[in-house]
Amino acid sequence: MIVGDLKPLEEIVSSIVDFRKVLILGCGSCVSVCLSGGEREARELALELAHIKHYKGDPPAFVVGSILRQCEQDLVTAFQEIPPDTDAILSLACGCGVQTLADAFEPLPVLPALNTSFFGASREPGVWQEVCQGCGDCVLSFTGGICPVARCAKSLFNGPCGGSQNGSCEVDKYTPCAWALIYYRLKKQNKLYLLDSLHCSKDWQPGGTAGPRTRIRTGIGGSPGD
Amino acid sequence: MSNYFKVNEKCNGCLACVQNCPADALNSEDIDDKRTLFHNMTRCARCGNCWRVCPQEAIDFRFLLENKWDAVITLNLVRCKVCDEALYTINFGETLTGKLEAATEPLCPRHREAFSLLAKAHYFPGRSRPEKEK
Repeated sequence: MIVGDLKPLEEIVSSIVDFRKVLILGCGSCVSVCLSGGEREARELALELAHIKHYKGDPPAFVVGSILRQCEQDLVTAFQEIPPDTDAILSLACGCGVQTLADAFEPLPVLPALNTSFFGASREPGVWQEVCQGCGDCVLSFTGGICPVARCAKSLFNGPCGGSQNGSCEVDKYTPCAWALIYYRLKKQNKLYLLDSLHCSKDWQPGGTAGPRTRIRTGIGGSPGD
Repeated sequence: MSNYFKVNEKCNGCLACVQNCPADALNSEDIDDKRTLFHNMTRCARCGNCWRVCPQEAIDFRFLLENKWDAVITLNLVRCKVCDEALYTINFGETLTGKLEAATEPLCPRHREAFSLLAKAHYFPGRSRPEKEK
C-alpha cells in the first residue's frame, strides 16, 4: 500500500494560514490503514490546527470530511460535497489523491497534509517497510521474492557491494543487506543457480524515466448487449 | 435485500455490473421466471466499477460510501457504584479479575481517588491530605 506521513505542523499551518475556511479531507484507503490520513487523523488534525497558538490572527474555520478514495476523479466529483465558502482543501491523501482533488475542484487550492513516503508492506502492527519502488519491470522471480531495487540501498543488480557486513547494509546495521537476504532465500529454495543466469540490463523506462506512466485497460464498461 | 449495494428502479437486470465486477462480489441467479442479483460485502472492494459501467445509472453507490452501523454484540455493563458512570463490561471485569487475581471495585477514576484518600485518612490520619472535591 501507499504509506504516507503527516507533514510537520508548521508546514501545514503555513500552507493554510491565508485561508478563511478549509475542508480537511481524509482518504479512506491506504493512508487510513497506515494510520496517517484517514477520517480519524483528519479529525485530530482539525483539532490541532484550530489552536489559536499557531496563528498571529484568527485561525481558519475547519470542516472535516472523508471519502473512500481521493484518487478517482469521477468518484470524488460525484460524491464529495464542498461546503459553501470553502477557500481551500487540506488533503490527507497521498500525492495521487491531492492531484486528483486539485483537478476535480479546480481552481480551488488543494494542499497536501501528508508526505507520500513509499510503497510499503506491514510485517507487524504499526510497522510498514518499503519493499517496492514500482520500477515497472519486476525481477522478483529470480531474486527469491526480495526486491533489490527497493531493499538494496544502492539498488544493485549483481550481488552485494563491499559494504555488506554480516548480513547488514553499510547504511545502517539494522537494515538487512538485500543481497544477503536474496542469497539465503535462494539457498533455501535450492535455486542458487539463478544467481549464475545472465539477464539483460534493466530497462528503467517502465520505471518512470520515460515520463509519467499511464495504464489503459481496454474492455472495461458497457453492458453485454452493447 | 442488501443494505449496501442498492439499485434504483432503473435496474433492468442486464448484468453489466456482474460481468464487470473485478472482485466477483456480484452474482445473479435465474430461478423460474425471476432473476435475482446478489452482492457479497466481504468480497466487495468498493472500487465503483459497477457504478461506472451501469448503462442504466441504476446503482446508488452512496450506500457503499456511507451507511448505517451494524450492531455486532451487546454485553452487560458495570457502572461506578457511586455515580453510575459506565466503566466496562462484566466480561471485561471478569478478565481483569482473572489477570489481577483480585476483584476490582466498580469505581470511576474520580471516585477511586476519593476512596483512596478516605482510606489513607483512615489508616494514616497524620499523613493524609484533605480530600479534594472535583
